[in-house]
Amino acid sequence: MNEHLILIAPRGHADRALSRVRARRVRTKADIKTTLERFQGNALWIAANEAALHLLLSSLTRQAQGDQRLLVLHARRREPSHYLHAFFRHVLFADEGIYLLPFDEMIEAIDSPDRADLFVGASFAGETDSVILYRGDLEPLVVPLTWFRKRPDGPPDPSRLAVADFGQTIRLGKYEAAADAILYDFDSDYRRRAKKRAIETDRSFGGALRRVRLQKGLRRGDFPGVTAKEIARIERGEVKRPHAHTVAAVAERLGVSPEEIADF
Amino acid sequence: MAFALEVPEPWAGRGWKVKIRDRERVEPPHVTILYKTLAWRFGLRSEGFLDKVPEPGNVPIAVLDEIRANLPLLRTEWDRMYPENPV
Repeated sequence: MNEHLILIAPRGHADRALSRVRARRVRTKADIKTTLERFQGNALWIAANEAALHLLLSSLTRQAQGDQRLLVLHARRREPSHYLHAFFRHVLFADEGIYLLPFDEMIEAIDSPDRADLFVGASFAGETDSVILYRGDLEPLVVPLTWFRKRPDGPPDPSRLAVADFGQTIRLGKYEAAADAILYDFDSDYRRRAKKRAIETDRSFGGALRRVRLQKGLRRGDFPGVTAKEIARIERGEVKRPHAHTVAAVAERLGVSPEEIADF
Repeated sequence: MAFALEVPEPWAGRGWKVKIRDRERVEPPHVTILYKTLAWRFGLRSEGFLDKVPEPGNVPIAVLDEIRANLPLLRTEWDRMYPENPV
């Protein structure tokens, strides 16, 4: 379930672009303090400008209740981020190498009921060769650069990282990856929801094995200890209940648990 | 490089896009119709929508007609980008 949106909108600093966002608005120090004290649920706070961030910082006196997160848009960070991290579970700034969605697309993404399935920010961690993606609820997701498989037109370029298409595409130079494909591979809850949405899916174990094998870019002959012919028979449904040690060997090569194969 | 089908006006100007990106869910082969925060997968084998949600009826007929008129091109592009799982 989505967390509540709380928009910090100081008097005299209204941002017209944010007027359509369906959020609870806090305008004064008293509003913020009351909300922090009384609001027990999960919330995503938005500070859209310097004035909003300043108002928030001057109002933080006690630890928030519940799971509180903070997205800072269009504001230059002057305060140490560890201060904000003490109050909020996740804090996302448009600096420190994090690339956010363009402002107008960000507003649409944050306002979407499915914002957790969209990406609003991205950064490249060169030391681990990973891309860190931030979902619309600010939850981070780490994706190894190797996951972005090279295509005939060239490899992904992490030095030109961007989030596009209202959070539905990750760009690495000219290379584009679908948010849907990333979440399908890395989030089992998303995968289950995606399968429920599908009009017609082969729900057999063989169908799931074929999907996960292709998703991982493997051929039928890439499974040590299991022949390509055996994999083909399982995928075609000719082997209804493959032996446990076969499933375990296949799962290990796929990098998933034996139980997870059926999720795909 | 992602393949983007040219969408007719006024739909392109309103933000409708049709793409095959470099990394998609591989099976089944499809194009993705994008509009703001929504996305529809359209199967290149079945020539129909792959998901019940979002509502397929919200995709403009003109966009669908453009996809259907360009199916051979879209299938060629998919096969070029995903030779491991051709249409």
